[in-house]
Amino acid sequence: MTDAKTLSYINLYAILGAMTQLCELDPKAKEILGNKRITMEITVKKGPTARLAFENGSCKILRGAGKCNIRLPFSSPEKFNGMIDGTVTPIPSKGLTKIGFLLKTFVPLTDLLTKYLRPSDEDLKDEEFFRVSTLLTFYVVSEALSQIANNDSVGMSSASYIVDGKIKMSIGDIVGACIVAKDHVLNTVHEMPEDFTSYMIFKDIKLANDLFAGRVNSVASVGHGNIRIGGMISQVDNMNRILDRVSMYLA
Amino acid sequence: MFKINDYTKSREAFLRAEKVIPSGIYGHQGPAEGCFVPVEAFPFFSDRAKGSYFWDIDGNRFIDYMCAYGPNVLGYNDPDVDAAAAAQRAKGDCITAPNTKMIDFAELLVDTVKSADWAFFAKNGNDVTTMAVMTARAYTKRKKIIFFKGYYHGVSPWTQKIDYAGVIEEDVVNNIYLDWNDIDAVEEAFRKYKGQIAAVIAQPYMHNNFMDNSLPIKDFWAKVRKICTDNDTVLIIDDVRAGFRLDIAGSDHYFGFEADLICFCKALANGYNVSALCGKYFLKNTVSSLSYTGSYWLSAVPFAAGIACIEKMKRINCTQLLFEKGNALKNGLIETASKYGYDLHVSGVPSLFYLRIADDPTLMLHQEWIAECVKRGIYFTNHHNHFINASLSDANIAETIAVADEAFSVIKNRHS
Repeated sequence: MTDAKTLSYINLYAILGAMTQLCELDPKAKEILGNKRITMEITVKKGPTARLAFENGSCKILRGAGKCNIRLPFSSPEKFNGMIDGTVTPIPSKGLTKIGFLLKTFVPLTDLLTKYLRPSDEDLKDEEFFRVSTLLTFYVVSEALSQIANNDSVGMSSASYIVDGKIKMSIGDIVGACIVAKDHVLNTVHEMPEDFTSYMIFKDIKLANDLFAGRVNSVASVGHGNIRIGGMISQVDNMNRILDRVSMYLA
Repeated sequence: MFKINDYTKSREAFLRAEKVIPSGIYGHQGPAEGCFVPVEAFPFFSDRAKGSYFWDIDGNRFIDYMCAYGPNVLGYNDPDVDAAAAAQRAKGDCITAPNTKMIDFAELLVDTVKSADWAFFAKNGNDVTTMAVMTARAYTKRKKIIFFKGYYHGVSPWTQKIDYAGVIEEDVVNNIYLDWNDIDAVEEAFRKYKGQIAAVIAQPYMHNNFMDNSLPIKDFWAKVRKICTDNDTVLIIDDVRAGFRLDIAGSDHYFGFEADLICFCKALANGYNVSALCGKYFLKNTVSSLSYTGSYWLSAVPFAAGIACIEKMKRINCTQLLFEKGNALKNGLIETASKYGYDLHVSGVPSLFYLRIADDPTLMLHQEWIAECVKRGIYFTNHHNHFINASLSDANIAETIAVADEAFSVIKNRHS
């Protein structure tokens, strides 16, 4: 029901892509990064390529190949997914002298990210941890949505029914993403849009976290007014079918 | 100024419902699928209904243009239909041996529906659309079915799409989806899948959600009919929603062709639960060969109600009446919208009209207007076609237009 190629796009753009937010949301991430200036390229054969650029405690994700200090090539989506699962150890094809960054910086960063994305009940009792965990999950979900729409065969079927426009997905006014649909290809822009053709707004952080964790029902939440939908609802309707698949891929 | 409804009791009931019913209210009558935007504008639970009105549990009265999503064609609790049903109920309803009311009802349908040589009864529209597809596959020994995008033929897995929860690839692998009114695409599909297409299934016109409804272009049905005949493919008309609101003899008759199978439900018995598949003689034996039945399918009360409903629809020339009322409403709404500078599109047929304020392509303005109407007691929806019923009075139409006027003024002020 899921495929390795789509998962590799999710793992690169949504999971590792969430590093960009992690560095903004948790001072510990900045601390781990220090003032290191490293660009790491990940190339997956028959899959995605992107670079993670770390500089002055922040992180950017750049799509496609380019200038880098470290290059991690993977012979298949399965191998790359294995690295994310911790079952495959990557071997750099460039930047062997930077191996220390991988071991002493990148691995601790991914461990921190995992702590937020697969949180323990105990950790979630901390209000700030709860907030950061929810915001990072929102980033992952909103990005995974587009990756599934563009790569997964069932997701592409859903996207084929999405008319051109911009879907606003947000947690109140706290954080938002704009899902841009053009010719049935989706692109997630991680900013609150000013103009949009439809919207799906979660009431607050708690509701978003409960939804992501499957503790509340989304349809009932619409009834309670805790999720607001409107505009070209057909866009939201088809996007929700892709969101169902996000949970399958992230399970 | 019209009263603004309060829905306190509806909200309290929803909290109760959610604890014991998935989603609280599931399906098309619920706040999510029913597109309650914003949710605060809409009632959740009804208390009673009569004629063109229903009252919610907070005591708010609505002039109802959804008609229970179609079944209410003569008016809620129509006295003639209810009397026939009550008389039969006194004698018996769900009994080991079926009542001869079943034969009476089938004879009446065969006499009424132009393309019908026989009738088979079930409960919901989905029961008979599914049976129609099974019949086509059993008769032709083929697998593939042509659909037109934007269709709704029920909720069985074959009617859904591959991205719907619980649907697997095998459920829909033989579905061919074409654009409505695209006769070239139909011809191409028959060339590509020569000898493989069991049926074409379609609504008589495209009365889909979220967009203006679309009538068949000139000669579309004649051409589809000919292609099906030439290829020994069964032509199924899903008249569940439109049935008897276009033509008492069937919507295929309205558009000048004859279906091989035609599915009815909603307006068939004015709210009593029965559906019917009618068809041509050459498919009768095939239908006999199917294993297809249900616990309540031969209950007598809905048959009695259906007979009374069809007889009354004929007696009052119902479709013409519905068109007249629909046209009066349509003209009034368009004129009122134009007073405020709004371009209100009313599409579909007058008895089954779809509304859209075309000034805002995102539909948000339209959703605001619909919400203001509902809050003032006019039950419209923002995503679905509406339904006219025969009890709708001139006074009801006048009140609707007055509320619409106030709702237009509210949104005009809000955005100016």
